[in-house]
Amino acid sequence: MTMEGTDAMIAIKDLRKSWGGKVALHGLSFEVRRGEIFGLLGHNGAGKSTTLGILLGQVFADHGEAMIGGISVERDRARALAKTGAIFEAPRFYDYLSGWKNLEIYTSYSAKVSRKQLLEAVETVGLTGRIEDKVGTYSQGMRQRLGLAQALLPESELILLDEPTNGLDPEGIHEMRGLIRRLNRDRGLTVVFCSHLLVEVEQLCDQVVILNQGRKIFDGRWAELGGDRRRVRFEVDDWSGALALVGGMPGVTVVGDKVLGLDDETATADLVGRMVHGGIRVSGVEVERRSLEQIYLGLTQGEAGGVEG
Amino acid sequence: MSLFLLQLRGELWKLFARKRTYLGFGVFLGVEMLILILWQLPRGQRWMEEMIERSGGVFQAYFSGLTVAMIMLTMTVFLLGGLYLALVGGDLVAKEIEDGTMRMTLCRPVSRERVLMVKYVTCVIYTFTLVIFIGLSALAAASMVRGSGGLFLFIPEQRLVAFFEFGPGLVRYLCALPCFALSMLTISTFAFLLSCCRMKPAAATIAAITLFFVDYIFHLVPYFESYRPWMMTTHMSTWMNVYRRPFPWELMIEDYGYLVGIDATFLLIAMVVFSRRDFKS
Repeated sequence: MTMEGTDAMIAIKDLRKSWGGKVALHGLSFEVRRGEIFGLLGHNGAGKSTTLGILLGQVFADHGEAMIGGISVERDRARALAKTGAIFEAPRFYDYLSGWKNLEIYTSYSAKVSRKQLLEAVETVGLTGRIEDKVGTYSQGMRQRLGLAQALLPESELILLDEPTNGLDPEGIHEMRGLIRRLNRDRGLTVVFCSHLLVEVEQLCDQVVILNQGRKIFDGRWAELGGDRRRVRFEVDDWSGALALVGGMPGVTVVGDKVLGLDDETATADLVGRMVHGGIRVSGVEVERRSLEQIYLGLTQGEAGGVEG
Repeated sequence: MSLFLLQLRGELWKLFARKRTYLGFGVFLGVEMLILILWQLPRGQRWMEEMIERSGGVFQAYFSGLTVAMIMLTMTVFLLGGLYLALVGGDLVAKEIEDGTMRMTLCRPVSRERVLMVKYVTCVIYTFTLVIFIGLSALAAASMVRGSGGLFLFIPEQRLVAFFEFGPGLVRYLCALPCFALSMLTISTFAFLLSCCRMKPAAATIAAITLFFVDYIFHLVPYFESYRPWMMTTHMSTWMNVYRRPFPWELMIEDYGYLVGIDATFLLIAMVVFSRRDFKS
């Protein structure tokens, strides 16, 4: 199947990988749809880079399969990566050569790239004025932009970004974020964005997978993760009776004893009304609003089990 | 231009745009000048006069640019050349892995075997370029000082004593250069193999040069004479057979067949190691 012929740009199935006996991935599976900005979030050592390495054919999985555009990376790496670009934390270049020469050298390992294509990529990332300078004279932000330019060449439809804002100042981070959004919007580029920074992934990504110690603990949209941002403790005389009345309502999740998680659409008063109407005595209601960070920490520190949206 | 040539051009650009690549060229020029000065001293000349005349030649006719160039070549390339070739061979892959540029290359839709092949061809080109540069620069420098004349050769370990007139001597000298480079390629290839393993560039260089020196030392010890056919440096010395009369075709083909076999084996092992390893920061 060609890259154009499948809806899932990336399909990862039951990936397992160990490094010297230490398990890095425990049967990881997820899909990335074409044209979305997808976040892979997790602490350092959660398994993000290993996943990316397997996707790029740089790391061999012990088990499972990684497919790009319906093509197995393990079986036909060249075809699977034909329209894929990537950059790592700090893209590495030959500092003693110009940015232009670096682009020529890297892209020669993909295909013959015309001068026009190179110029276009350089212009997209805003390096036109400095492209003939040696990379050794570039700032970190310029290096990242050059990294992005090489990832876009020759005609990438998918780019994998591993902590691309590492080492950038706030202005650089803002610029990089804008650039990624623009590329996604204007070119329909699918972006996989790996980061350990929640705020970054939250601001950029439509869909997210959260990894913790090589396990997927969340897979879905932000709204689904934020679904129980609001937690409400109900002081009632009959908790099982109350649950029977409101536990199955849409937007309501049972979090613990006498605690329900509510999405933004669900009003606490409606729940109280339903309980009272059903003969439950409600003596108190305590609302706790959790930040996304608290939810994330709760997930990664084992407050909740794996969640799948 | 085919994609392979395009990639090769990029690799050569990377290698020859780097200042440290020229370190070897510069050092060799310096050493050549030093040897040239030493042979101009009366003591060196007296020794040479004795050697030439004891072998039945005329000192004035054979103490020429060609003779001195040949001395410079054998003295510099075999020992120092080994070091520099190991340095570049050991750097080619390991340095890129260390710097992280290899991971950037391997993001591309290219097989690891292709990446390695392009780098190996670069290694071969560098080996030939360095040896031929040393040979030609030695000849140019020695000829400027000693002028043209016959070639006298005295290599005791090879039991080789020979006299050539200028023309045939020059032809043999020029033919010897690519043969010498082919011999030295074994060091580069071994360093290249180590460079593909999990080791730092410096470790690959040191390990390669150590093996070569140990082999060479054993090769020189008379006690190990019966083991010489098993030593790499025995076969690497075959380039000197270019100066024998009659030309020992069979021996040279056998030796180079052995060396090419070793090189191919090293390259194959390098491919297997490189294509099976994981690359992760």
